[in-house]
Amino acid sequence: MDQKINVPKLPHIFFRWYCRPERYEELHGDLEELYYERIKEQGSTQARMHYLFDVIRCCQPYAWKKLSLQPNFSTNMFRNYYKTSSRSLMRNPLSSFINIFGLSMAIGVCLVVYAFLKYDYSIDRFHEFKDEVYLITFSADRSGTEEQYGLTPRPLGDMLREDFTHIKKVCRVEDKNAVLKNGDKVFHESVRFSDPEFLDMLTFPLKWGVKQSLAEPNNIILSDEMATKYFGDENPLGQDIQMIFGEDRSKTFKVSGVAEPFPEAHIIDFSFLVNFENLRTNFPNYNSQDWGEFVNATLIQVSAPSDLALITEGMTKYQTLHNKAQNDWEITSFGFEQLASLHLNSGNIKNDISYDASSEGRISLPILALFMLALACFNYINIAIVSAAKRLKEIGVRKVIGANRGKVITQFLAENILVTAFALIVGLVLALTIFLPWFIQVAQRNMELNLIDGNLWIFLVALLFLTGIASGIYPALYISKFNTVKIFKGSVQFGKKNPLTKVLLGFQLILACITITNAVVFTQNTTYLNNRSWGYNQQGTLYADVIDAVGFDRLNALMIQHPDVMSTAGSTHHLGKETAPSLVYQANRPYEVAQLSVSADYFKTMELQLTEGRFFKDRSENDKQAIVVNELLVKNMVLEQPIGELLEIDGAKYEVIGVVKDFHEKNFYYEMQPTIFRLADQSDYRYLSMKVRPGTEQEAYQALQSEWAALFPETPFQGGYQEDVWTGFFEEVDTQERFTKTVAFMAVLLASLGLYGLVTLNVSGRIKEFSIRKVLGAGLKNIAINITQQYIVLCLLALVLGLPISYVLAKAMMDMMYPISVPIGYLEIMLPAIILVVVLLAVVFTQVGKVSKSNLVDGLRTE
Amino acid sequence: MKGTHLGEFEELILLTVGVLYDEAYAVAIAKEIEEQSGRSINVSAVHKSLYRLEEKGMLDSRLSDPESKRGGKRKRLFSITAYGKRALDESMELRMRLRNRIPNIAFKWQMS
Repeated sequence: MDQKINVPKLPHIFFRWYCRPERYEELHGDLEELYYERIKEQGSTQARMHYLFDVIRCCQPYAWKKLSLQPNFSTNMFRNYYKTSSRSLMRNPLSSFINIFGLSMAIGVCLVVYAFLKYDYSIDRFHEFKDEVYLITFSADRSGTEEQYGLTPRPLGDMLREDFTHIKKVCRVEDKNAVLKNGDKVFHESVRFSDPEFLDMLTFPLKWGVKQSLAEPNNIILSDEMATKYFGDENPLGQDIQMIFGEDRSKTFKVSGVAEPFPEAHIIDFSFLVNFENLRTNFPNYNSQDWGEFVNATLIQVSAPSDLALITEGMTKYQTLHNKAQNDWEITSFGFEQLASLHLNSGNIKNDISYDASSEGRISLPILALFMLALACFNYINIAIVSAAKRLKEIGVRKVIGANRGKVITQFLAENILVTAFALIVGLVLALTIFLPWFIQVAQRNMELNLIDGNLWIFLVALLFLTGIASGIYPALYISKFNTVKIFKGSVQFGKKNPLTKVLLGFQLILACITITNAVVFTQNTTYLNNRSWGYNQQGTLYADVIDAVGFDRLNALMIQHPDVMSTAGSTHHLGKETAPSLVYQANRPYEVAQLSVSADYFKTMELQLTEGRFFKDRSENDKQAIVVNELLVKNMVLEQPIGELLEIDGAKYEVIGVVKDFHEKNFYYEMQPTIFRLADQSDYRYLSMKVRPGTEQEAYQALQSEWAALFPETPFQGGYQEDVWTGFFEEVDTQERFTKTVAFMAVLLASLGLYGLVTLNVSGRIKEFSIRKVLGAGLKNIAINITQQYIVLCLLALVLGLPISYVLAKAMMDMMYPISVPIGYLEIMLPAIILVVVLLAVVFTQVGKVSKSNLVDGLRTE
Repeated sequence: MKGTHLGEFEELILLTVGVLYDEAYAVAIAKEIEEQSGRSINVSAVHKSLYRLEEKGMLDSRLSDPESKRGGKRKRLFSITAYGKRALDESMELRMRLRNRIPNIAFKWQMS
């Protein structure tokens, strides 16, 4: 009787699973009959297809197992919960909207922060050997505190290669500026000189060519961007490109490789990569065996991190070698930084090839996300507590039917997770369509939320439960607590007097206060920094980066004849562009200072202000042993009588002849530094700066550019308005301002939404009271005062607590981000207070209006 | 009469069950309707109506002997109940009554 069943297996299993047993025989008999018939008529494949369709089609209620036959209490219960929850959500559209909107906004922010952190932690981690490659660093005590540097003595790389068998690979990296030329495309570029192992250790994939080609000194490997810049979209392999190092030094390279576009999350990269050997051949002064000089970076690759201890031990002898050759940089120890975590620690390492672009974001963004989440959760808790009055009967009935407290808690939590899930979807959409594009634009980093990313979903689920439970647990506990008998008797007193509601609202107001204060301070700071004096006159000043002294002479001779140019000056370094670190000894104690070598005219051209003594005299031989210092140096070195003081630099004595007012040689992110000016050798001039007649900057700039083009057709022009040297800095400051303003706006929006919900519920619960008041003759004023009273007290309390906290936080933030920032005064403190009070009053008065217009008969009638 | 209301497809099924008399099971019914009306019928749709009609009491059913062409499974054979017949008759009668009440003039559209 039991024939062998040879219908397709999987659909059959599925059918068996859903089909109710008492109908299986007849139903599947029909399907089998059809199946065997079709095999005969249409062949096996067709029949199998049809069978599958039939199984799917038959999956209908008439064939299903009867769920209700097996008593399954919890499914039914949850179905009922779902029904009551969705009904209660629909019944209170306003509070549902506030809850869902608030939560989705907070979740959207969380997702953006997630995207940011993910981006941040994936920087430079695409390299295959990210855990094996280390940057060698050293610690040195230059001016009182020990600091870590990312540089390495030049011969170290070679020595390591020979001395240690544990080290698999060594790679030195040096960066030089050069002019690259292919046909009419001529630009200033930074070129990376490295050992051929570079691409073995940092595994940048190549689009064209092979990485081994770097071993040949005449080859060059380009980044994708540079390949497009110089050669367009074609494959440039085998083409020539000329590299110009100076007036008479140049070399032609053959393109032997082009890298794939670098991943978004990277910091270490290259534009042009050539063999280290080229340094020796093309820079006659470059001595790679000099222990006293540094190379930009030395990377090593080891098989196991445990080898590092051994290597460290063996490296002490290099320390002695270096310290003998170089007195200014006494190395106290060597260290290693893993490639994978290099950029995270980069903030503590000076002069390394990586940098830490987002240390502030790494701390402040998660805090911000928590802020937002807290605000939204508080809204939820408050509204849930106050609106519980409407659902008391439901809870009473549930308890009578037999739900225990645990069941009621589960119900409310489940309901809340449902709401959160909905908010999560909205939040995801918000994040993808609005927040993230905006944040990418502001942060100028191309991070992404990849929906296929498994971690994102784990994060989402975690967020769902965290938010759902954090916001729902208190209301659930609170609501489930009530005694059934009291509920039905109507004697439960609650909602209006819950102190937690007030605490949470107060907390929200404090958070809003903090964010507003931040926004105000940042805005003020932007204006402040824009107007702050640079210590010299940056207006009407132009500069050009000349190639060498000859170039300077030729350009200077032409520009000085220009009618709009009032003065010109040459210099080796330039304010806002370049200074040289130097050590000044006073009584054998070293001080780290910045040094600028300039001509005598430089002070006049840049309008640096003299407070004491004199500037250099033009072409004076005596002044070669003189320096001009800034006030900060005088202060730091405690020079009682600075003029005439003798200071030692590079083993020679220099006399201080003048003191200038403090100025910013770098942008406002950096503190002012003690600085010395020395008279530059005419043969060392690298910059031409000039002061032009006010209002003629543009003409002068055009003249400068056209003179340059005529003089040096081979070299692209580098220079511009002095005012523009910090453009990037001001853009960043602007960005921060925009960012904090948006954050403050969101926080205020969330807090006021929550407040609105609370006030509305409160007022609607007291409508009878207000109607009685109106009957007894209370005017609008009386009612307004009555409603406002409790909130205004709360608001004042929140301000009293919040303002000092805001002040301290804003100050800490400013101090962390800028050494120079706007002093925080009354305005910065009063403005948030005013904004908050106005928002609060506006919210309250919408409700007062409603009460005053309402018909008091409606309020007094009872069913 | 609300209780005996039949849908168009249900009516078709009911009729076919009658036509096939002793061989009225889902696959045969589906084939018959396909043959007669020319429209393609899926067996699950037939199942659905059959069980519904049985629930309404218009059809009765019993299981046949196992058959090898169905992998040794029995089939459910349906037959019309008295209530089913009444529902059919009422539905037919209603149609005829309405059809007969259409005045001839309503079909005279060719003339104008």
